[in-house]
Formats: sequence, structure tokens, C-alpha cells
Amino acid sequence: MDILIAEDAKDQRLLLAALLKKRGFTVYEAEDGQQALDLLTQYPDIRIVLSDWMMPNMDGITLCQILRNQTTRPIDDQRYFYFILLTSRAEHKALAEGMSVGADDFIRKPVDPEELSARLNAGIRIIELKTALEQKINYIEKDLRYAANAQAQLLAQPTTIQNVSFDWFFQPSRILGGDMFGYQPLDSEHVSFYQLDVAGHGVSSALFSFALNNTLKEDHGGRGIVKSILSTPPYYRIHTPDEVLVQLNQQFQASVDSMHYFTIAYGVLNSQTGVVQLAQAGHPPPLWLQTQSQTVTAIEGKGVPIGMMSNMDYDIQTVQLNRGDRLFLHSDGITECENSAGEQFGEQRLIQLLQQHLQLPLTELIEQVEQAIRQWSEAPSFEDDVTFLILEWQRHTE
Amino acid sequence: MAFEISTQGKFTVVHIDEVRFDASQVDAFKTFMFEHIEGGATELVIDLSMIRFMDSSGLGVLVSVLKKMDGNGSLVLAGAQAAIQDLFSLTAMDRLFSIVDSVDQATAG
Repeated sequence: MDILIAEDAKDQRLLLAALLKKRGFTVYEAEDGQQALDLLTQYPDIRIVLSDWMMPNMDGITLCQILRNQTTRPIDDQRYFYFILLTSRAEHKALAEGMSVGADDFIRKPVDPEELSARLNAGIRIIELKTALEQKINYIEKDLRYAANAQAQLLAQPTTIQNVSFDWFFQPSRILGGDMFGYQPLDSEHVSFYQLDVAGHGVSSALFSFALNNTLKEDHGGRGIVKSILSTPPYYRIHTPDEVLVQLNQQFQASVDSMHYFTIAYGVLNSQTGVVQLAQAGHPPPLWLQTQSQTVTAIEGKGVPIGMMSNMDYDIQTVQLNRGDRLFLHSDGITECENSAGEQFGEQRLIQLLQQHLQLPLTELIEQVEQAIRQWSEAPSFEDDVTFLILEWQRHTE
Repeated sequence: MAFEISTQGKFTVVHIDEVRFDASQVDAFKTFMFEHIEGGATELVIDLSMIRFMDSSGLGVLVSVLKKMDGNGSLVLAGAQAAIQDLFSLTAMDRLFSIVDSVDQATAG
């Protein structure tokens, strides 16, 4: 273990250094707090600091204070220093002051070698525990980042299917999120799309959303939830959105203890006629951006979230798109995003925002929405997963 | 504890004394409610009137309590503020729960 001694009295410092070297420590010596700080910056293996209280340039209290502020200290890594303050008999108030700035322990001068050994052993135990913990955390975080990459791989890429363009924004609140979305052709003239939000955050919600992503795929081993195979022409049947939600609800019933449920908006668009059928299970209503009237309206639909209670049925909403119209599907991470005063962004503000930028190309519209939410939250990261999906029934057929 | 319980006639009234009902409370609430259900409470009224914000885990725990009752007795949600009523409406909670405007209304019948 590497240790640093900060002590301005040379005889004391040499005595301590000799003692510690004999016990097998690698010892660094500093004459004051500033020198100590320089050495700590330079040598990443030093984990224990044995510091005098009164020193020129920078005293022990100030040194400890600087080291305890992880964000402002001039040291690149996040390592924890076990900080022992040396005090003389007369310096009683150093104890209280030292405690308040985060010193771990105190040794009274003149230093008794046996006491020093015992106190250093306590320090070493703490450092070893901290190191083991840090390693475990690093390991878990690495795993989570792998999982986040896997999640990103699952997401459908922005694309155009049968003159229907899709683009999106996806920002998990932690490393992993419980939001998911997808879109796919069901045959040569039908395109399905969905956006869902698993209750809760983090690993278990994300795993659930992975499974749902797979379940909602058209080619799900011929036992699809979105489409079934028939033995007579046309050899398949596209399931209506309400049927899809009923089937999902039968398949994913939460137990009393787990209470894993999700909200979803699911739709099928006929790419020839522009007719959209939607079904909703407790999800924020999709917004319809109409080019001709320059309006944005919510397509209201109520429904019990999937997995809460068995044998629920769901309603269908049908809308007739005009060429150039768009649908905006989103999770409640947008509408429930709070500003510093605790006020939610809300559906009305979202509708106004979309109305204001109705003419923009999809990618720019997405940027505008993202910016507006970030400005509203004023925080570097979101409280909840923020996801939205936009589709456009293109103006011109190819 | 942010939950208070009282008996009004045959009803067990649970008052949630929180402005936010979210992930930070649901575990304690669930344990509290499950204990009372296991202890034989059947006619339950949950007073939501203090709550201004409920997240998905808050909604989830109410359904957990309903499922825990397993069809025995009744569970009434009382006094929800406008924002919570909107959430109940969006998620069609009126299909699962009896929802009334106040505790008085819940215990009148």
C-alpha cells in the first residue's frame, strides 16, 4: 500500500517515513499541503494520507477539504483517500474541524508506533473494501452498457416502408430503459407500428421490453401475434389492433408480486388508402399532424394497460390520413417531464410545439421536440425514459 | 409512515398522506395493505385526495392490492384530484375499480 506523509517538521517526517518503510509501505513525503496535493495528483497508487494539521502554504484541514470534493479536486480519478490527521495534545479543536471536513481518523503526536500500526490497519481494511466494491460496480456497469448496446441493436432504423417514412427519438433515463417501439410491413400494403412503455425503469423493465420487441415481430415463428397463417388464400390474416392487444394481454399477465405491466399504442396503416386503425392500452394518445388543416389533434382512446388484468377488451380508432399527414406516438416521459418548478410539460404544450413546426422535415421536427424537452427539464438527464416515434404517409408515391 | 388507517362503520379507510405517490412509496404501501388484507379487512376505501402525482408504479400497486383481495369484499378509490382522474380515465381504471369523489361518498352506502 502506498502512503503519503504531509508534515512540515523534517525530523518528525523522517521518523514516520522510516517507521512506515520498515512496515512495508511505499512512502511519499510532502512538506506542506500543496506539495501533498501535487504528489497525490502524480501518483495514482497512493490511497492513505497521513497529514499534520498546521503546515505552511496549505494546512491539513484544507488539504482534506480539497480531496473530499470529488468534482473540483485536481485529481483525474475517483479514488478514495483514507485521511488520517496528526494532532498535538493542545489542538483539541482540530478533531471537530477535521471530522467536519471528512477526516477518517486522528493520531495524537508524539506518535506511538503501535497505535499508528493499528490505525493504519483499520484504514487498509476500508481501502480494500472500497476497492472490491468499486470493482464490482465497474463490472455491473460494464454489463449494463453491453445490454444497452444490445437494446440499441433491437431498435428499428429510420426507414421508409411502402411510402411510409419512420423516424424516432429514444433516450433511456438510466443506462437501460423500458420503452420500445417498432414498425414493419405486414404484407404489400399494410404497415404496423407501435410504441410501448413498460412500468418502472432499469434492467427488469428493459428485459421485458426486449421480449415484447420480439413478440411483436411479424415473422415470430409463424405463431405471430400480429398476423396468422391460413391454409387457404390469401394464406394469412392481419390481426386488427384490438385483437393484438387482447392477445398480448392474455400472454403477459402480471403476478400480484411483480406487477410488470405496460402501456402501448398499436396501429396498422394501409399504405394504399391511408386508413389507420389504432388500439390503445393506457398509453398517451397518438397525435395526428394534419397538413391540410395545419392542425394537431390527439386520437383519444382509453384502455387498461397490458398485463394488469386478464380478459380485457380494447377499442379501435380509425382515422383517414391525407398524403403528407403524420402520426406522433410518444411515452409519458415527454408529457410528464417536469421543469424546475415541478410543472409538467403536458399534452397541450406538446401539441402547440408540433403545430409550430408542422412544416419541418422529420429529422428537424425531432430535433425541435428534443430541444424543447431538454430546455423544459433543464437537467442533463431525463427523469423518465423519453421516446417518440413519427411516421409520415408520404406526399408523393414512387 | 405516510399512511393512516381508520374504521368507519364496516369500512376500512386508508388515507395516503403524500403529494407524490410513486416508486419511493409503493413497497411500503404494498406491505401495509397486504398486512391488512391478510388480517381480514374486506371493505377497503383508499383516500387519494392528497396525491397530486402518481406514476406507473403507483398505479401498479393499486392493482396489486385489488388482485390480492382476490374478489373478496370491495375496494373503492376515493377523492382523486383532476390529474389523477385523467390518469384513471386514460388507463380505463373504472373497469377495475369503483371510483368515487370522496370518502364520505364511499362510506355512505
